[in-house]
Amino acid sequence: MQIKLSDLPFGETAVVREIQTPAHDLNCMGLRIGKELKMVTKQPIKGPVVVLIGELEIAMGLEMAELIVVETGTDA
Amino acid sequence: MTDRREEGPEAGTIVLMLGNPNVGKSALFNRMTGANAVVSNYPGTTVDFMSGTFIESGHTYTIIDVPGTYSLEPRDAAEEVAVRMLRDYPDATVIIVLDATKTDRGLYIALEVMERGMPCIVAVNMMDAAHEKKITVDIAALQRLLGVPVVSTTAISGEGVRELAEMLRKAKVADIGAIAQRLRGEEPERESVRSCGGCGGCGGQ
Repeated sequence: MQIKLSDLPFGETAVVREIQTPAHDLNCMGLRIGKELKMVTKQPIKGPVVVLIGELEIAMGLEMAELIVVETGTDA
Repeated sequence: MTDRREEGPEAGTIVLMLGNPNVGKSALFNRMTGANAVVSNYPGTTVDFMSGTFIESGHTYTIIDVPGTYSLEPRDAAEEVAVRMLRDYPDATVIIVLDATKTDRGLYIALEVMERGMPCIVAVNMMDAAHEKKITVDIAALQRLLGVPVVSTTAISGEGVRELAEMLRKAKVADIGAIAQRLRGEEPERESVRSCGGCGGCGGQ
């Protein structure tokens, strides 16, 4: 099931499928299409949203997280 | 910021220490130059850089510790300094520092630097942290793929730092086209690593 990253519940993992924003900023931080990530922190209002990709923790604003499409249940 | 290009021949080869934030560039810089620099990086206003010298095999190198950056398209003042340093020293050799536990992120900026056609050498730092986390980095494979010398280092213990210093003179310009070919599984016409397995001893020459 494809959802917005901002809708991914805490502790759940998903795979990045689409980045609907100039992807350079996220790519250089290590967030790329096809990467598996885990939701670590999600604060309301403007964020931050923190995801874990391997050993990397990446923080972003809630607005940015809304523009990332992830697929859940890929390993189920 | 002073213009150091006017320093004359005693400054030797300029070496830029470049990489993501928090990969141990400053620790490596301190190790190589014997400096005891506490380098801070605060986004927004003043972001400074440090330089120091060291002599290896009679050749003087001036190392500049560049602020950490994720890419060469600057998003804050620290990154702007990093990009400006690359522009100001077009003839410099670049030590691209990677965090062994986060190599894929480091390779993004590594390839951006290689695209500029500057001679580079890659230091895979924080090998101790990688060992602890049971992460292994295939240094030889990375060297074969990139076609530039790759050295594993642990800046806090000093492991690999001497090798890095010795390999500096082997730094070379990466061939992006050849890297792409190798990634596709094709062998470029003139493969620099021939019969050797890429121990790092010769820099693949």
